[in-house]
Amino acid sequence: MPLAILLILVAGGISGLAVLLHILGKSKPVILTNDSARAAWLRLFPDEPVTDVTVANTGHAALIRTTNGPGLVWSFGVDTVARPLTDVKITETKKRLKIQFGDFTAPKAVVTLNETERADWRQKMAQT
Amino acid sequence: MIETLHYPDVVQWAVPLFVIAILAEIIWIIIRKRGGRYETRDALTSLVMGAGNIAIGIAMGFIAWGFFMLLWNITPLDLGSAWWVVLLCFVLDDLRYYWVHRFGHRVRWVWASHVNHHSSQHYNLTTALRQTWTGTFTLMMIVRAPLILLGFHPAMIVFVGGLNLIYQFWIHTEAIAKMPRWFESVMNTPSHHRVHHGRNARYLDANYAGVFIIWDKMFGTFVPELDEEKPDYGLVYNLGTFNPLRVAFHEWVGLFRDVFQSGLTLKERFKYAFAPPGYSHDGSRDTSETIKAKHLIRNPSDKGTPGFD
Repeated sequence: MPLAILLILVAGGISGLAVLLHILGKSKPVILTNDSARAAWLRLFPDEPVTDVTVANTGHAALIRTTNGPGLVWSFGVDTVARPLTDVKITETKKRLKIQFGDFTAPKAVVTLNETERADWRQKMAQT
Repeated sequence: MIETLHYPDVVQWAVPLFVIAILAEIIWIIIRKRGGRYETRDALTSLVMGAGNIAIGIAMGFIAWGFFMLLWNITPLDLGSAWWVVLLCFVLDDLRYYWVHRFGHRVRWVWASHVNHHSSQHYNLTTALRQTWTGTFTLMMIVRAPLILLGFHPAMIVFVGGLNLIYQFWIHTEAIAKMPRWFESVMNTPSHHRVHHGRNARYLDANYAGVFIIWDKMFGTFVPELDEEKPDYGLVYNLGTFNPLRVAFHEWVGLFRDVFQSGLTLKERFKYAFAPPGYSHDGSRDTSETIKAKHLIRNPSDKGTPGFD
């Protein structure tokens, strides 16, 4: 196949499908609940029982507390990802906590929290 | 001896078919409200990985091709290009695929390349295109050497390899539950391959087949899809990024960090590169064996059931 035609097909196909999926509403992130956040944590860390779950008001992230320390579950498209909150760098802004994991497979998570929530999360992360 | 033999680059010619089939799957899911899930960034990542795979194939293909032609010039055997030779080549190349794929899950050096294909938490036709960018570096082209030395022309081997890849495209779907029983018993199907993409303890390291599922049945790696346990797609430790560069290279980064950390013996360094994924010198990580063992501790009634034999 001529390279020019292949390029057009590939570029057109990728962008067309991406636009279509976005228009169809397939870009909306999942909304977490207490139960779904707990399940999402145990899905990745079945040997670390959850002792407490705090879901952000946005529903896009949850602070998990386990017997081994705190962790974070966050929405990853319509799916979820979870990581322990150990050896992380946390930067606080007016509306967000930016958490850098030092993990090539999950470099960072940005969690939108109001002022009250941020104080609560900070306190709970320090307790565990 | 055949000096030149030309076959079409079937994977490139299949690109329009891939796009149309993905569109059809999306429409099917919307109309039927079942049969799979799509997410924009996940699909976009898969498609970019597929495009990158084709681009790297064009740019780096000369390495494998040069190796194949070197072998072709050495071998005294030439089976010609009759249809039955192509058919035989297809079947034997599928056996070759089974073993390369099995190495891809059991040898970290090869897994580092193959892992990206399993990195989506979705299972749809775009997942089929989430292909490696680093296949050449695994040197798994060596596994094709016996076929060339037996007298199959390199062009034929590349051709049937492309057909194999195209066959595997359609099985990456949840829109098809089961094929007729006779077909399920011989061929790789959506059901068999869903098992392969499952991160459930039961489904780890199973169903490596490309086209013919008989290889898994022959070599003891077949696990059927159970109605009571839906595959949970993705990696044991799922990625938290859609960035194609991180998807393509994350396991290589992890591998080299592990190999070059301080305080290890030479044997431990070797194992970080070539032992099964999950190996760690201090036992702090899980391999598929330990994941299965821990699952059985939590769920002892699963012992003796498929995947836990």
